[in-house]
Amino acid sequence: MIFHLDTTTPQPLGVVLLKKRIDSNNSSELQKAFTQWLQQTNNFVFDCAELDFIDSSGLGAIVSCLRKALEQHGDLKLAALGPKVAMIFELTKAKKLFSVFSDRSEAIQSFSTVSPK
Amino acid sequence: MKTLLVIREQESAWLLDQFPGIHPLLVPICNKPFIEFLVDFAILAGSEALRIVSDGGLRDVELYCANGSRWGVEISYGNINPADDTYTVIEKNRRFCLKERIMIISGFLFIRYDKKSDYTSLFASLQSGELLRCPHGSISLTGDAASVISPAGTLPFSLVALDSIGKYYELSMEILRSGLNKYVLPGYSSEADCYIGRNVIIPKSAEIQKPVIIGNNVQLLANTVIHANSVIGSNVIIDRDSVISGSIVMDNTYIGEHLEVENKIAAGNLLIDPESGSSIIMEDPHLLTAMTPSRVAGTLLRRVVHTFAATILILIQLLPWLLLRPIVGMQGKWKRKREPYYTALAGKNVTLTSTYIESNGSLSTLAKTLALDRFSLLFKVLSGELALIGNKPVRVNASIRLLPNRVAGYRPAVFSYAEAEDWPEFCIDTEIVEHYYAVHSNPMKDISMTQKAIFHRTYQNHCT
Repeated sequence: MIFHLDTTTPQPLGVVLLKKRIDSNNSSELQKAFTQWLQQTNNFVFDCAELDFIDSSGLGAIVSCLRKALEQHGDLKLAALGPKVAMIFELTKAKKLFSVFSDRSEAIQSFSTVSPK
Repeated sequence: MKTLLVIREQESAWLLDQFPGIHPLLVPICNKPFIEFLVDFAILAGSEALRIVSDGGLRDVELYCANGSRWGVEISYGNINPADDTYTVIEKNRRFCLKERIMIISGFLFIRYDKKSDYTSLFASLQSGELLRCPHGSISLTGDAASVISPAGTLPFSLVALDSIGKYYELSMEILRSGLNKYVLPGYSSEADCYIGRNVIIPKSAEIQKPVIIGNNVQLLANTVIHANSVIGSNVIIDRDSVISGSIVMDNTYIGEHLEVENKIAAGNLLIDPESGSSIIMEDPHLLTAMTPSRVAGTLLRRVVHTFAATILILIQLLPWLLLRPIVGMQGKWKRKREPYYTALAGKNVTLTSTYIESNGSLSTLAKTLALDRFSLLFKVLSGELALIGNKPVRVNASIRLLPNRVAGYRPAVFSYAEAEDWPEFCIDTEIVEHYYAVHSNPMKDISMTQKAIFHRTYQNHCT
């Protein structure tokens, strides 16, 4: 996981590059790290371009991150879901919970177009 | 006419990658093994014999199709080299190809046909040569036509090259949408566009939309929705609140709860997107799981209980058997017959000595009342070849289309559940009773059912 703050948008945006796998071995790490990232911003883009696999605990961790972001009046959007990862999101209906974009820049751009609350 | 089916391993290797463990010719299309479509077409075209030749293994196909008597055709098998051309294949199968007209189906291709059409006279009148060709194969004819009549317009069948998982999915959907009445498909169909197999449990809260095909031994749980254009294979469980739409769920698959399978192929723990061709192996057993017969613990306990009970029965019956067997035998009322029967394992048979005692005398009636006709079979329980109670063993019969050991729960036994429930031996409901207990019984219940079976025999013999 690589996190950086993007300041090109009206509000600072947390961009997280997820790598390889998110499963029961590392899903808790994501949740812990997300709690820290929340102190810097409440809007996030999870870039899944390099994510090869996700299991139910990884999915649970991402949904938990979304819930925390929404509680802070922010949002979490997904970008560049690979076909295998997309299948898991579709199968579990989790895709309906997220705004999904084809690539990272499109997801970042979407935060600029949304009028600030 | 005869049909020569030439299958090259290379053409179907992609299917083996997608569904490992299933021979490509046995991969189901709308719950019907692919080979059966080819056999059906060969029969419709007037073939009396079919020879399947391949440069790969055909063992599983041989086990499934056997000698073809189920379809009333003679099926034989042969090997070819990957480099053999059609001419060489015919030369290598000269004995088969002699004299009669030969339809050569070459390649891993599906033939679109209509079971209502008359292909026999058409094929008898077609001139020899290549009839149809597609990128991965062709249909051609050798030999002279009986009376040459040029068919009006195009031929009433066409070819589909099966070369990708996308094509496989498209073909299944095409059959579902518009071809259900063109092919003989497995299952019970009381209304159009709906085929349902045996032992399918559908709760009131489940919703099923046509067209749909559901295989045998399927359990839908509460609030499941099967949308139109879905194929559900055999031995499948769809857990509660899950939705299947435009998808193929292959045999032996568990679909977890609250899931949505849309335009996908689920095969065991493998989920395939036919559009992109990508697939993912599920590591979470509560999402998708392959249902392997993991009955080891239950089977072991059942076997121990059955062996124990059979030993007690042998000890009880030993003295009466030693006393009555020679006397009743000398009276000519003790008749025996050795025949092969299907076991619970596909492809394996067991030879049993069935005993028939004529109960028209006091001693022979006593022998029958004490169930001495089953005495020799009890030893098969000790060797594990029979259960103490289960299904009435089915005699090996080449004309049986659905082999009993392909039906879940078939367990040939000394006593049958139908006997325990006092159902007539030859009654349409007998099979249902036996199947019910085969699925729902447990080792302890088996003991009480065995007691009931023996009691009913005693009671019946006492009454007669």
